[in-house]
Amino acid sequence: MHAEQKPIVFEHEHAPPNSVGVTTLIFVIMLGLTCMALLVGFSDLGPMKIYANLGVACVQALVVSMFSMELKNQDKLTWLTAAASIFWTAILFLFTMTDYITRGYAAH
Amino acid sequence: MSATATLELDYTPQCVPPISNEPDPTAENYLNHSHTWLSWLLTVDHKRIGIMYLVAVTTFFVFGGLAAMLVRINLLTPTGAILELDQYNKAFTAHGTIMLFLFLIPVVPGVLGNFFVPIMIGAKDMAFPKLNLASFYVYAFGAVFFIVALLTGGLDTGWTFYPPYSSKYSHTNVLLAGTGVFILGFSSILTGLNIIATVHKMRCPGMSWGRMPLFVWAMYATSVIQVLATPVLAITVTMLAVERIFGVGIFDPTLQGDPILFQHMFWYYSHPAVYIMLLPGMGVINEVLTCFSRKNIFGYAAVAWSTIGIAVVGYLVWGHHMFLSGQGVYLGMLFSILTMLVAVPSAIKVFNWTATLYGGTLTFQAPMLYALGFIALFTIGGLTGIYLGVMGTDIHLHDTYFVIAHFHFTMVGGMMFGWQAGLHFWWPKMTGKMYSDFWSRLAAVTTLVGFSLTFLPQFVLGFSGMPRRYPYYPPEFQMFNILSTAGASIQGIGYLMPVFYLTASLFFGKNAGPNPWRATGLEWQTASPPPMHNFDELPHVTCGPYEYALPSSFQLVEASHNPDHPGGDHPHLVTAGDPHGRH
Amino acid sequence: MAATNSTHDGAAPIVAHHFNNILQQQSSVRFGMWLFLATEVLFFGGVFCAYTVYRRWFPLDFEAASTALNPMIAGINSFLLLTSSFTATLAIRAAYTGNQGRLKAMLAATIVLGVAFLGFKSFEYYQDFEEGLVPSAQVANPDPLHHHARGMDSQFAHNLQHVLEHKKYYKDGAHLEDVNLDRCRLFFVFYYGMTGLHVIHMIVGIGLFIWQYILASRGFFVPKERFVYVEVLALYWHFVELVWIFLLPLLYMTGHHSFSDL
Repeated sequence: MHAEQKPIVFEHEHAPPNSVGVTTLIFVIMLGLTCMALLVGFSDLGPMKIYANLGVACVQALVVSMFSMELKNQDKLTWLTAAASIFWTAILFLFTMTDYITRGYAAH
Repeated sequence: MSATATLELDYTPQCVPPISNEPDPTAENYLNHSHTWLSWLLTVDHKRIGIMYLVAVTTFFVFGGLAAMLVRINLLTPTGAILELDQYNKAFTAHGTIMLFLFLIPVVPGVLGNFFVPIMIGAKDMAFPKLNLASFYVYAFGAVFFIVALLTGGLDTGWTFYPPYSSKYSHTNVLLAGTGVFILGFSSILTGLNIIATVHKMRCPGMSWGRMPLFVWAMYATSVIQVLATPVLAITVTMLAVERIFGVGIFDPTLQGDPILFQHMFWYYSHPAVYIMLLPGMGVINEVLTCFSRKNIFGYAAVAWSTIGIAVVGYLVWGHHMFLSGQGVYLGMLFSILTMLVAVPSAIKVFNWTATLYGGTLTFQAPMLYALGFIALFTIGGLTGIYLGVMGTDIHLHDTYFVIAHFHFTMVGGMMFGWQAGLHFWWPKMTGKMYSDFWSRLAAVTTLVGFSLTFLPQFVLGFSGMPRRYPYYPPEFQMFNILSTAGASIQGIGYLMPVFYLTASLFFGKNAGPNPWRATGLEWQTASPPPMHNFDELPHVTCGPYEYALPSSFQLVEASHNPDHPGGDHPHLVTAGDPHGRH
Repeated sequence: MAATNSTHDGAAPIVAHHFNNILQQQSSVRFGMWLFLATEVLFFGGVFCAYTVYRRWFPLDFEAASTALNPMIAGINSFLLLTSSFTATLAIRAAYTGNQGRLKAMLAATIVLGVAFLGFKSFEYYQDFEEGLVPSAQVANPDPLHHHARGMDSQFAHNLQHVLEHKKYYKDGAHLEDVNLDRCRLFFVFYYGMTGLHVIHMIVGIGLFIWQYILASRGFFVPKERFVYVEVLALYWHFVELVWIFLLPLLYMTGHHSFSDL
């Protein structure tokens, strides 16, 4: 009836911070991506421009969060926190934008 | 690091015979180890911070109650008995904002959450004690700021402060009050952050998620909502302030803005906010019901997961406040269906509580009376919410007294009764003193009667068509309004009584001992009041939180075999393995 | 890590009284910062959502208004912020290895780069004020007999038109037929609001870096276990960078810039 539960363990040492070499590599990659973002801004892609802009921004965000903020090394709880923040922001966007997109549908 | 001794946990405290004539607690506890002003004002002890919150929220509850009194007295006559039109607007706005932002949101997380979450999980303090103290001062500062804004010009926009009235046309202290709300929001976020970190990182060995008291589950879910929803309120208030200060158009239709956007962002927070207010009360009910029916909770997993379910699905229903605002009809239909879905976890809890009561050995002290009142009143409140969630009926019921009655049944009949139950249940633990059984039961019944008389007539008023926030009404509604005000007076007496007998218990009450209710749970295994570091040894948990059904570790022994009691010949209790009887 | 729970100068112990061990403490501090960043995501998410609503409603107006901004300063600021993130990350490594000199140098570099960002931003705001791109309700000409084109009631609209005339895409009034320049005020409200919020977060971050620099000078980070505090401040700084990563395309890069405008 009183089976031993797994003890709460903090003995797992957290992975050390990124080395100087890895940090510099990330910096160079981000430099390149920023140049790309600026180039997209100066280009004339018409209706695709906003998607290209946001696409580059999303890649930049992934690099910063995964590698600079070391999300890929973190435990599941941190992943859950980061995912929850994105998910809950998505709820705000989804329902609010749905209103503005569908507001005229039932109008007479 | 020295080897820490393990606290021997007694899993059958409920079988201990009730102890009378408890000697004076001379042990050092969190209250008496230092007496200076600074030791209180600069404390990082979560228990002292909880007491400071208690004093603060009670003070602001009184202010909110005074505002309610003004509103109800004014409604005695169909043309406004004591207030002018703009004064009436300020009165109901003051009542709403004070009760919501200064009382209902911080009360249980600030007092009972701060005090008991660390103890219930076997920790020595919260994860971030200094942040805890900062969070209290932010709350106090924001609350004082807000009260000053109300007193030096008032706020007449209603607690929802919709633009463009609040941003462009109102001549009251919208900016100051908005700043106060922003500051209070910060306090809410920091408290929630602290509780989440504490529950994840500070549990004692053996305290898995499945062994935590359901009160902790409720506080955790509340904190998740606080952390994720309040920032959106903060940015909404900021945008409103920018619009008001700079005269620009974010929500102003004359400047190409959309007022409905404000409502979307406002209710994104404010609907989950009502669950911030409600879930802690539900958490308290779990603890009180199990203790006073001497039974394990029915369906622990169902109650735990439905708590999380309310927290998550509660984010998907905010549009039910906006059915008549100009929001798209298709979105309205979606929100309507989701609203009916969010009622399901609440209903699961009510069924589980009822099943917990069934077959239990019930006793009816004050905490239990409040808890039973909670179940009855919250059920009514929840069901009437369905009427409002269905778009068709909401067209007639929106902005009427039906809505007011609905949310008072859930917030007051639900949360306030839950708070009173928790306060009365844990008062002996926090202060070490027992209060009067008679007066507390009387207060519970008085509050229940007064509440019902106040708000049941308001359902009738609502579907008869009386709008909310109106000081004038047709004369045929006067009877119900008078009944409501009479009930409010009785209710007020019911809220005042605990102030008296609880304060009296501090001076004249009997010493409670560590476990006057013979409840399970880690908090009842330390002294009352608890020592400063909560536990002298690190607890190691091997059992669930509501083991009321464990076989007794005490057994009856024939007196004749006991040489220490030569004169007695009636059986008495001994612990297993101790032939000489319990000392 | 068999560390003793004391510092050389008898200051606060490394492991606080309510934690059982250093790993629990570090884990909690890190988690606390991630939770706080989650609240910040929701905070900025709110204003991004409001921006998105109006962007979808008035796409041409927003593109025109964005063209009036200065993309070169935005680009310089992007590189400054990126580099300050780089130095902040290097500071973590320095604290972890106990290299006090490098730690202080990296913290100082981050502060300098952050202040440079604020400097360029102030100049940018000043330029916008000079050009009259302030979204006020001020009317251009209160004379009711004076005929205005649609969307040209405000002084702001006239200022904006004047600025756009110098941009290649809108030269000689091209592409401006469907643009309501009065409505462009909405874009500028969001521009000042979102960049202003970002600036406030940067000022707080710089202040915290200065505080950590002072602590480092006093030897606070000599016990290497305390690197976690540098790590969480760097996490906050990376978040500030993340916000800028999305501000750049939505506010600046939306416009119809060309190299000949620079």
